[in-house]
Amino acid sequence: MIGVGWFIPEYLLLAGAFVALFAEWLFGRDNAGAAVGAVTATLAALAAVLIGVREPAFSGGLLELDQVAVTVRVAIAVLSAVYLLWLAARGTAPERSREAAALVMLAALGGMLMVSARDLMVLFISIELATMPAYVLMGYRRDDARSLEGALKYFLLSMTTSLVMLYGFSFLFAIAGSTSFARIATAPDAGLLGGFAALFVFVGLFAKMSAAPFHFWAPDAYAGAPAASVAFVSTVPKLAGAAVMVRLAAVLVPGAPSLLAMFVIASLASMVLGNLAAFPQSDIRRLMAYSGVAHTGYMLLALSAGTASGNAAAVFYTIAYAVPSMAIMLIAAEEGSELDDFAGLAARRPAIAWVSVVFLLSLVGVPPMIGMFGKLMLFTAALEAGRLALVIVAVIMSVVSAGYYFRILRAAFFADGSSEPSVPLSLSSTVAIGILAIATLGIGVFTGPLFRLLTAGF
Amino acid sequence: MLLSAIVLLPLAGAVVSALVPKDRGDIARWIAAVVTAVDLALVVFVALRFDVGAGMQFVENVAWVPQFGISYHLGVDGISITMLALSALLSLVAVVASWNMKTKPAAYFAMLLLLEVGMNGVFLALDFVLFYVFWELVLVPMYFLIGTWGGPRKEYASIKFFLYTLFGSVFMLIGIIALYLQTGTFDMTAMVGAGLSESFQWWVFAAFFLGFAVKVPIFPLHTWLPDAHVEAPTAASVLLAGILLKMGTYGFIRIALPILPHAANQWAPFITALAAISIVYGAALAFAQTDLKKLVAYSSVSHMGFVMLGIASGTVEGLNGAIAVMFSHGVVTGLLFLIVGMVYERTHTRMIQDVSGLSNQVPVAGGLLAFASFASLGLPGLSGFVGEFLTLLGAWKSDVPAVWVVIAAIGVLLAAAYTLSMVQRVILGTPSPIVSKITDLTVREVSLLVPLVVLTLVVGLYWNSLLRFTDPAVARIVELLAGA
Repeated sequence: MIGVGWFIPEYLLLAGAFVALFAEWLFGRDNAGAAVGAVTATLAALAAVLIGVREPAFSGGLLELDQVAVTVRVAIAVLSAVYLLWLAARGTAPERSREAAALVMLAALGGMLMVSARDLMVLFISIELATMPAYVLMGYRRDDARSLEGALKYFLLSMTTSLVMLYGFSFLFAIAGSTSFARIATAPDAGLLGGFAALFVFVGLFAKMSAAPFHFWAPDAYAGAPAASVAFVSTVPKLAGAAVMVRLAAVLVPGAPSLLAMFVIASLASMVLGNLAAFPQSDIRRLMAYSGVAHTGYMLLALSAGTASGNAAAVFYTIAYAVPSMAIMLIAAEEGSELDDFAGLAARRPAIAWVSVVFLLSLVGVPPMIGMFGKLMLFTAALEAGRLALVIVAVIMSVVSAGYYFRILRAAFFADGSSEPSVPLSLSSTVAIGILAIATLGIGVFTGPLFRLLTAGF
Repeated sequence: MLLSAIVLLPLAGAVVSALVPKDRGDIARWIAAVVTAVDLALVVFVALRFDVGAGMQFVENVAWVPQFGISYHLGVDGISITMLALSALLSLVAVVASWNMKTKPAAYFAMLLLLEVGMNGVFLALDFVLFYVFWELVLVPMYFLIGTWGGPRKEYASIKFFLYTLFGSVFMLIGIIALYLQTGTFDMTAMVGAGLSESFQWWVFAAFFLGFAVKVPIFPLHTWLPDAHVEAPTAASVLLAGILLKMGTYGFIRIALPILPHAANQWAPFITALAAISIVYGAALAFAQTDLKKLVAYSSVSHMGFVMLGIASGTVEGLNGAIAVMFSHGVVTGLLFLIVGMVYERTHTRMIQDVSGLSNQVPVAGGLLAFASFASLGLPGLSGFVGEFLTLLGAWKSDVPAVWVVIAAIGVLLAAAYTLSMVQRVILGTPSPIVSKITDLTVREVSLLVPLVVLTLVVGLYWNSLLRFTDPAVARIVELLAGA
C-alpha cells in the first residue's frame, strides 16, 4: 500500500501507549511508562520531520500531510515528548503516572490525526480520540471531588458541543453530498443552511479551544485538575484545534462569509473576558485557564483576517502560546498551584524563577521571545484585513495581561517565601523546562524558517 | 562587526555574571566593570573613526526574517553616536557607582549589563523589529532593578513603570506594522521619503507619539516617572534619567520626523504646547518638593520639555539644541543622582531640611552638588546652557505659536528658582544634626564624578565638540521636514 509508512509517527505513539500501560510489569518502575513515552514521542517527531509533506494515496484523500499538518504534527510530538520527559521525573502526584503517559500519547496521536484529516468523519473520530484522554487526565485525582466535578463538567460540555459540531457536519454532508473537505469547499452555495452548518461546526471548535462565550468549563475544570494534567490538556490539544479551525475556515468561509464576523465577535469576547477575568485569580490554574481564553481570542483575531497570512499567523501564535504556557503549568505543578506557592521562588530555585520570566514575558508579547513574533504576525495579518479596532483592543488587553502575569513574577521575586526547595531537584524535569525555555527564546530569534513553512502551507 | 560587538558584549557579560556563584559578587562586579569599560572603549573608537560629514556608518545588514522584510540592521550617524557614547559612559558609571552592592550582586550586575544591551541597541537599530526588540528589552532589567533593589515602594513603582511604558509601546507596534503594510519593509532607512499619504502619516504619528511620549515623558503621561526615579537604586536612577528618557526623544528624531515629516509639521504646535506645559509644570512641581530625588525627577520632566520644544521646532538650531539637552541632561542628572545617592548613603535621608549645610561639613560633596545644580539650571559656560539656548532659539524661529515659546522661557527662570532655593537650603547654611556627623566623599566617589564634571565643562565651553557630530545629521532631517 502506497504511503502507509508515512504514518509511522502515529504507529509509534500507539505502540508507545500500549507499552507504557504495562511499564511497571515490563520495567519494574511506574515512571518507566513516561520515559518510554518521551523516547517514542521524540522518535515520532523525528520521523514526522523526515517524512515531511506527502499525499498518502492509500487513504483515498481522507488524510493528507501538507505543510501545516507536518509543522503542527512535529510541534505536537515535540511538546508531548518534553511533557513526558517531565512526567518521567515528577509523575502525576499522587496517582500512577504510567496511565497518564499512555493517555498523553493517545491524545497526541489524536491531535496528529486531526491536523492530517481531510474528511469530516476522520476529523470527528480523531477529535474524540484527542479529547477522551483529556477527560481522564483532568479527573486524575479520583479522591478529589473538585477534580471529578471539573472533569465531569468538561466531559458533559465537551460531549454536548461535539454533538453540536456533528450536527453541523450532517448539514455539510447534506449540502455537499460528501464528507470530503475538497467536495465541501466546491459545493454550491447553500445560503442560510450553509451558514448554520458553519455556525454549529465552529461552536463545537470554540468550546474545545475555550473561546468565549464557550469557555466557562475551562476555569473550573483546570482548577480541579492536577496542575500537571492542565499543563498538557491546556496546550497540546490546542495546537491541533487551531490547525483544524484554520483548515475548516478555509473550507467554509467562502460559502459562509458571516463566519468572519463570528470570529471577530468570539475574538473580542475572548480577549476582553479572558484577560479581565484572569486578573483577580489567585490560583495559577484558573489564571492560566482565563489566559488561555484570551490567547484563543488573539488566535481568532488572526483567523478573522480570512487570509493566508492570517491563517499562518493563527497556527504560529498557537505554538507561541503553547510552549510557554506548558512550562508555567509544569512549574506550578512542581511549586504548587496557588499564587502564594510561588513566593520566594527566586530565592529557592533561581534558575526556574528566571526562566519563568522568559515564559511570562513571552505570553505578554515582549521581545525577543516567540510570543512577540506571534503577536507581530497576527497583528500584521489583522491590520492588513482592516481590523484596526480589534487590534487596538488586542494591544490594550496585552498590557492588561502583563498586569496579571506580573503578579506571578512579583510573587516569585519580591515576596518572601520558604527558601527550601519544595520538590527534590531532578535533572530531567529541569531539562524539560529548559528545553521549553530555549524554544521560547530560540524560536523567537529564529522565527524565519518556521513561519516560512507555515506560509508555504496556505 | 564593531557595532554588533558594542551591543552583544554586554549580553555576554550579563550571561556570565548571572552564572557567578551567589557568594562571589566581587567577580560579577569586575566582569561588569571590564565589559562596560571595553564597551566604552569600542564606542570611543567608533567615534574617533567616525566621518562627521557622511550619513549612516559602520552599517551591518543581515536578513533576519526575509519573507517579512525584517533584517538585523545596525548603523550610526551623528545623532546615534552621541547617544551611544552617553549610554556607554553612564553604564560604566552606573557599574562603578554600585561597587559596594551587597544584595544579590551577581543578579544586579547582570541586570545592569542587560540594560546596556537594550540601550545601545535602541540607538543603533535601523530595523523596526530590531528597534522594538531593544526598546522592550530595556523594560525587563529596569523592572527588576527597581523592584528588587529599590526603595520602600519599589513594587508599585516598578510595575507602574513597566505597564505605562508597555502601554505606549504596543501602540508604537501598531504604527510599525502600519508602516510595514504600506512600504513592505521594516527597514527604517528605506522608509524615509517613501511618499506616504498625509492622512496615513497623521495616524501613524499618533501611534508613535503615544509610544515615545510615555517614555520621554511628556505631560500628562509623566506620572510614572517620579515613582520610578525615587524608588530606583542610584545607578538605575542615573540610567533611567540619563538614557531611558532619551530613547523617547531619540525615537522622535530618528523615526517620527524623517519618516513622517508631514505629520511632524502638523503635530508641531500640539507638541510645542505640551512641551511648554511640561517645562513649567515640571519646574513648578520641582519647586514644591522636599525630597531631593523627587526634585531631580521633576526637573527631568522640565528638561525633557526643552528637548521636545526643540524637536517640535523642526529647525536646525532646535534639533541640535534638543540633542544637546539630551546629552547634557544625561550627564548632569547623572551627576545629581550620584551625589544625592552618596549623601543618602551617609545620612539615610533625602529630605532637604535634614541634609542642610553640606558645604560646611563636606565641602567636596557640597561643591560638586552646587556645580551640578548650576549646570542643571543652564548657567552659561556649562553644558545645560547650550541646549536650552538653542532649543528656545529654534522654537522662536519656527512657525509654532510664540506664546508657548514665551511660556517655555519662563521655565528657565523657574529652573533657576527651584535650583537656587535647593542650593541655598542644602548646600549653604549651618549643618543639620545629621549632616554634622558625616564624612566627605572618598577618592573612588570623586573619581566617579570627575569625568562627568569634565564633560559638562567641555560641552559647555566648546559647543562644537558635540554639535559637529549632530549638525550634518540634523541638517538632513530638517531638509526632509522642509520638503514635506
